[in-house]
Parts: sequence; C-alpha cells; structure tokens
Amino acid sequence: MMFPTLDPLLHSELRLAVMSLLVSAEEAEFPYIKEQTGATAGNLSVQVDKLSAAGYIEVEKTFKGKKPCTICRITPTGLKAFEDYVASLKSYLKV
Amino acid sequence: MEENSNMTAERSLEIITEQIEKSRRAVSKTTGRSLYISGICIMCTAVLVVLINIITMSQGMVGIGHLLWFALPVVIWLLSRKYIKDREHAPVSLVSSMVAKTWITFGFFGIGFFIIALIWGWIGARLLPISEYATSQIRVAPVIVLLMGMAITMTGHILRQRWLVVFGIVAGLLCFAWEHFHVGEAIVMNLVSVESPFALTAAVISSSLPCLTIFIFALVGLLLPGMMLKKQSV
Repeated sequence: MMFPTLDPLLHSELRLAVMSLLVSAEEAEFPYIKEQTGATAGNLSVQVDKLSAAGYIEVEKTFKGKKPCTICRITPTGLKAFEDYVASLKSYLKV
Repeated sequence: MEENSNMTAERSLEIITEQIEKSRRAVSKTTGRSLYISGICIMCTAVLVVLINIITMSQGMVGIGHLLWFALPVVIWLLSRKYIKDREHAPVSLVSSMVAKTWITFGFFGIGFFIIALIWGWIGARLLPISEYATSQIRVAPVIVLLMGMAITMTGHILRQRWLVVFGIVAGLLCFAWEHFHVGEAIVMNLVSVESPFALTAAVISSSLPCLTIFIFALVGLLLPGMMLKKQSV
C-alpha cells in the first residue's frame, strides 16, 4: 500500500501547533500563539513567516491602541493543507 | 516547543489534539465570562427595575424603572471590558462569535421592540380613546421572553448543551403564554380583592412578574451556562 507523503511544511512540531491553534479559531494574536505553544518569539516569528509565505496563514500587522498587534488567520489553502495532512496521518495510523 | 521535523504520526496527532483542546478551553473561558457578566447584569437590572417601580409608584410614576433597560447594553460592555482582561489575547472562534452574535441580535430586537412599544404607547395615550388605548397597547414582556427563549435555544445548539435547548423552547413558550394571557396578574388579583388593604401590594407584585420571568431566564440562560463554560475551561 502506498502512503501519501506528509506535507513537509506542516510536519514540524511548532508549525503544526500553530496551524492546529488557528484551525479552531477565526483568528489569534501573536502573544496568544506564543503562550499556547511555549515557543520563543524569534522562533515563532520565523515559523509564522514560513506558513505565511506558503499561503497557509495570513498575517495582519495592526495596532491596538498604541501597541503593535499581529493577528494570524488560517487561509482556505491552509485549511485544505491541514485537512490533507490529517487524512494522510490517518492512513499512516490506519485510524 | 522547538523546531522538530522528525515526528512520528502519533506525535503529530498528539500535537493537533493538544492545541485544539487548548484553543477550545481559551474560547470557553472568554465566552463563559461574557455570559456570566451578562447574566448578572440582567438579573441586577430586573431587581433594580422592580425596586425603582415600587419607590416611584407612590409618586404617581408608573413603570419608570423600565427605562433602566436602555442602560443595560452599555453596562454589560463596560463590565466586560473591565473584567475580561485576558480578552486582549484570547482567540476569536466560530463558537464564541456565534454566541455573541446571537445575544447581540437578541439585544437589537429586544430594545428595538421596547422602543416601538414605548412610542406606540405614547402616541396611543394622546390620540386614542381610553377604551381603544387599553386594548391596542403593545405588551413588551411576552415578546421579550419569546426572543430570550429563542436566544437561549440557539446558545444551547451552538454550545451543544441539550438541556439549554430544551429549556429555551419549553420556558420560552410557557412564559410567552403566561405573560400574554396575564396568568400571573390574574392569580394575584384573584387572591386579593380591590378593596383589600393589600391591593397596592398585589398591584406591585403583578407588575413585577415580567421582571421575575426575565430574572429567571437570565439565571438559567446566561448565568448557569456561563458558570458551566468557565468550569469546563479550568
């Protein structure tokens, strides 16, 4: 039996955690994602940029009062990639 | 969490489950607090309306306390801003926005209907003969409890709480019939005759019954689900 290949962009702990958080939320702020994943700001920023460059998430830089605020949202492409990734995992695990 | 691309399929599923659960808990906490605050505000307003109506009744001002309902959305908004500090970073989910939109819609329809009834009452009192005015008055309470029942039922569906769905339907329809057919007033007025020294007390009680209904609806439809969600998110 041929197993489907896992999306290399999603097959990484931190990127997968970010996508899993965003899949159940309409949008989330950068500090919230950082808090939930326990990642460092620098590392998270790099991974968010990679997901954004692939079109899996969209990043909006805005202001909340005078404070800068980064909001992340999953895109339809990202959602499709996530669904495919979960389907592939299921076939590996025969769930 | 560090960068690691050599994960097993089991570890991947574990991460997905863990993060979705974390997100769900964060959303439940914020939604729960909003429902809790709204419930307390509505219950306190219902009590205050009754108290103000009792105090002002002796001065000939009937039902002036009901004007307090207009301040309710502002009070809920201010308290939510003050007490939900972690809302700053909480994610917006489909569940929380659906619950919020359900109650905002209820607020628009409830207050809108209340304003229409007030304007119609004011016009009717000046233009219609007293006999026609009495029959053409718009009663706010039956429609408000019906709308509240609908909002509670929809909240129950969104939060997947069967008891809330059943409560919303049963209580909404029963309380609508109770208010529309003046059952409470009829019971109170039948127990106390007009000549009785307790007639004024009976009138106050019967005019307070809609507030009691709204109090109970806020307790079961907002406060209890709010407490439940807060508890689930711990």
